[in-house]
This record gives sequence, C-alpha cells and structure tokens, in this order.
Amino acid sequence: MATVAERAKDLVKVDRRDGKLALAHIYVAFIALAIGGLCGLLQTLVRSGTFTLPWGIGYYQILTVHGVLLGLVLTTYFIFGFQIAAVSRTSGTLTDKQRMLGWVGFWVMTIGTIASATMVLLNQASVLYTFYAPLQAHWIFYAGLALVIVGSWIGGAGQIGKYIEWRKANPGQSSPLLTFMVVVNLSMWIVCSLGVAVEVLFQLLPWSLGWVDKVDVLLSRTLFWYFGHPLVYFWLLPAYMVWYVVIPKVIGGKIFSDALARLSFMLFLLFSIPVGFHHQLVEPGISSFWKFLQVVLTLMVVIPSLLTAFSMFATFEIRGRALGGKGILGWFKKLPWGDARFLVPFIGMAAFIPAGAGGIINASHQMNQLVHNTIWVTGHFHLTVATTVVLTFFGAAYWLIPHLTGRVLTKQMNKLAIIQAIVWAFGMSIMSGAMHIVGLFGAPRRSDFSTYGGSAQAAEWIPYQIAQAVGGTILFIGIVLVLYIVANLLWFAPKGETEFPVGEISENAEKTPMALENWKIWLTICIALILFAYTVPVIDMIQNAPPGSKGFKLW
Amino acid sequence: MSKKREKEPDLKGTLYSVGVLGAFIIITWFMAFYLFIDRF
Repeated sequence: MATVAERAKDLVKVDRRDGKLALAHIYVAFIALAIGGLCGLLQTLVRSGTFTLPWGIGYYQILTVHGVLLGLVLTTYFIFGFQIAAVSRTSGTLTDKQRMLGWVGFWVMTIGTIASATMVLLNQASVLYTFYAPLQAHWIFYAGLALVIVGSWIGGAGQIGKYIEWRKANPGQSSPLLTFMVVVNLSMWIVCSLGVAVEVLFQLLPWSLGWVDKVDVLLSRTLFWYFGHPLVYFWLLPAYMVWYVVIPKVIGGKIFSDALARLSFMLFLLFSIPVGFHHQLVEPGISSFWKFLQVVLTLMVVIPSLLTAFSMFATFEIRGRALGGKGILGWFKKLPWGDARFLVPFIGMAAFIPAGAGGIINASHQMNQLVHNTIWVTGHFHLTVATTVVLTFFGAAYWLIPHLTGRVLTKQMNKLAIIQAIVWAFGMSIMSGAMHIVGLFGAPRRSDFSTYGGSAQAAEWIPYQIAQAVGGTILFIGIVLVLYIVANLLWFAPKGETEFPVGEISENAEKTPMALENWKIWLTICIALILFAYTVPVIDMIQNAPPGSKGFKLW
Repeated sequence: MSKKREKEPDLKGTLYSVGVLGAFIIITWFMAFYLFIDRF
C-alpha cells in the first residue's frame, strides 16, 4: 500500500502554463508525423515500381519531406514537449522568464520549419537529407533550418535555466534524475549543433545566395556529421529517459541505480560527438588513422548502451521476482504486458537489439564498405529512430498527453495502443528486414525506382522493394491508428487525472557520487575529446582543401 | 549495525539475458565480417 505522502507525490501535476507550452510542441510533432508518414508511404510505393506520383511531384521531393519532417521536426518537437514537461514535473514549475524562453524558442523553430517546408513543397529544396553539399537548396531552406536550431537553443536555455535554479536552491544535493538527463541531452545538442550552424552560416548560405561559387564538400560533410551522429543520440536519450525513469514506475518497480543512469548519460555526452567520421568511412581526404580513432571512440558507445540494457533487465527481473516470478526467466511473464505505457516502449527496446548490432557493423571501419550507401543503412535507422525511439515516444504520449489535457487513457484506447504497436512492429519487420537484406545485395539508398537499364542485379532487388511497400503500407496503418489515439487523448477522452510516472531509486542502490554532476569535469573531457578527434584532420582538410564544387540541382 | 547483511537481489535472469544479447551482437558481427572477407 502506498503511503499518503507517496500518493501525493504521484499526483504532482505539471503546471497548466508549462503544460500548454509542452502541448504546443506535441501538436507540431504529430502534424509532422501525419504529413511525413504519408510521404514515407508514397516513397515505398514508388520504389516498388508499381506507382507513379501524380501532378509532377518528384520522388526526391517527398523523400526530403519525409526525412525533414520525421527526422528533424517530429523528433525535436516531441523531445522538447517531453523535456519541458519532465523538467517542470521534477524540478518545479518554470519561472515566467524560463517559460517565455520556451515560447520564443517554439515560435523561432516553427517559423523556421514553415520557411523550410515551403521551399521543399515548392520543389526548391529536394536535397534529400538537409545539409548535404554539393546538392544545393534555395537559401531560405537553409535559413529556415538554421532558425530551427537557433530556436532549440533558446527553448533549451529555458530548461537549463530551471536546472541551474534548482541546483542553487539545493546546494550539495543530487538534482532530480529526469532534469539532469534533460540537461545532458541539451548540452550534447548545443555542442554538436554548433558544427552545423558553422556549416550553414559560413558555407551553405553564402553559397546558396550566390555570394561564393563553390563549396568545400569535404569540410561541409565533416561539419554535418560532427552534428549528424550526436543528432541520433539526441533522439535516443529522451527514449532512455523514459526507460530509466518512467518505465520502472509504470511496472511498479524502482530505478535500479541512480548513479548508473547518470554515468551512462555522461558517457553518451562524451562518446556521441567525436565520432562523425564513422559516417565518412569511404570518403577520400580523411586519413585512415583519424577514421580509426573515431571508430574506436564510436565503439565506446557500446558501454553505456550495454549499461542501459543491464539496468533495464535488472529492473524487470527485480520487479518480476517481487510479483512471484520463479526460475531463471519466470519473472518475465509477470511484467504488465497489457499496459500500453509499458508494452509499447518495450517493443522499442527489443528493436534496439538488432538495431544496435547493425550499428556496430556500420561503424566497423573497412566493413562499412559492405553497407555504405546501400538501403541497409535506411533499414538500420528505421529500427533505431523509427522503431526504438518512436515507439517509446508513442508509449510516453499515452500518459503525457492525457496528463497535460486532464484526461485519461480509456481501456479501449489502451487496447488500440497495443494493437498499434504490434502493427508497427510487424510492418517494420517486413520493411526494415527487406531493406537490410537487399542492402547486402547492393541496392542503393536515397534513389528513385529504376531498372538500371535492365540490369539483372537490379531486377533481383524488385521483390524486396515490393516487400518494403507492403511493410510501408502496414506502417501507414500504424500512423493512422496512433493519430486516432492522440486525437482522442487531446480532445475526446473522458476527463480525469493521469499520472506522470516518475520512478523512485531502489533502496539497494549505492549513493550517487556528486562527481557525476560536476559539469566542469565532464564538459572539459567532452571538449578535449572533440579537439583530439577533430583538430588535426580539420586543419589538414583546410590546408589541403579539395577543389570546391558548384551547386547541383538534380531534381 | 544490522546483524545480517541485506540480501542482494537475484539477478541470474539478467545475467543470462545480457549474455544472450552480447552473443547476438557478436554472431551478427561475425556474419557480416565473413561476408566482408568473402567479397573484398
């Protein structure tokens, strides 16, 4: 039986004004999911060779919409909505100034998103995935995306401000775990997005405005991937926040160890950034030594990933045994499989096992040749971001949205949410599985349907492309279902109180060392590692720069 | 001071689970490695 004090703690609500700010972000996220998801479906249909886009819409145009809306807009907005609510829930209501920063950030990001989306819809920016020279978009596209990043800094400053305020008010104490995790994620985001800001301001904007004719492609890609890899961890860490802090509470257990969770997040801060070269392993102009060094740093991410896996299994086992689970794996059956708040993120966790294994293969230096620029990579990130991260976000939305709207998830909606996750897992297994297999046969990513002049090898890929369309269609049904549930939670579900679940630390956990919150140490190591991994190769790139490239508009 | 040491939680299942996870990663990596050696 919970004590009165414990019950009161569970009912702590996010302040209505903070909730409104969080919800504004969540609205944009799900609008992006609707439009971006539709474009994903169209892409798979076109690639099956059985469908042609109407009204002169180009394949690369919908690919860009899909990538930008789902990879950047859905993720960033949901993350910010979740983080704002998480900080407000665990460190207290935002001050007016912090909330204002949140709103200014929101509108700057939204103006940027609308500007970029307009250029993509006008077919002025079909540059696939954002900042990849020498494909050249209209300058408004780059300026818009720069605003998205600047807006995220402003909004992020509001969240970090709350953390600083809490630390000042509670000297010598460990900050609330969820707020701490938010600040780690934002620190990583700010440090890495500086790279893409430099690329946009000093390379892409002057070049797309016609002030300079040519761009240094090698340097621009290096700056992009300095940002691009931590970007994937920026998506993943909020999912880890849900796993570490929310899921233990949902299953009725406790957080295995506060110190382990904090250490794992700090290791992600260190090892997510100085690793961009593993996306450039087949790129000429970077010496093998520096590629190797960054491969080693990349593989260090395995450590916090496995710490997380261990921590999750331990949380589940301790809870399952407390509920009477016997034998080596009997505890597994005792978990609350009928609760969408648990099952949906759990499917996401399970997907991370093949996703992580694939990631290690991608990053294994010379072995990258096996998969580079093939659709295997697309299959890989549809497991990581489009399953692990997205299903965790859906699972979180099922309590976060009703918490913020003062409604409840009904039994029918809970059931539908479980069906949604199963549909998603099924569709993704088909689509991503086909992408992985045919990628190993050499099928390229990012490309429109083609028979490549009747090539026999390309003909072998077609059945897998049809399988991708089948999987993509099932996934689209999943999107319709989740949008239906979200609309219900926003406007139609019965009024009531929904808990924002925040786990407590296990009484068996060791005391958290304060060193884990000493930012001077961790940020110094973080910056030292970045300087170590990038200084010499970037100087080399500038001193021995390749000939610049003019812009290409191939659509 | 407590008379007996607090019982550690039983984490045998966790040990096996992470073991299987590690084995999966290693096996898939070697499958890809074999393909790589075969092709390049």
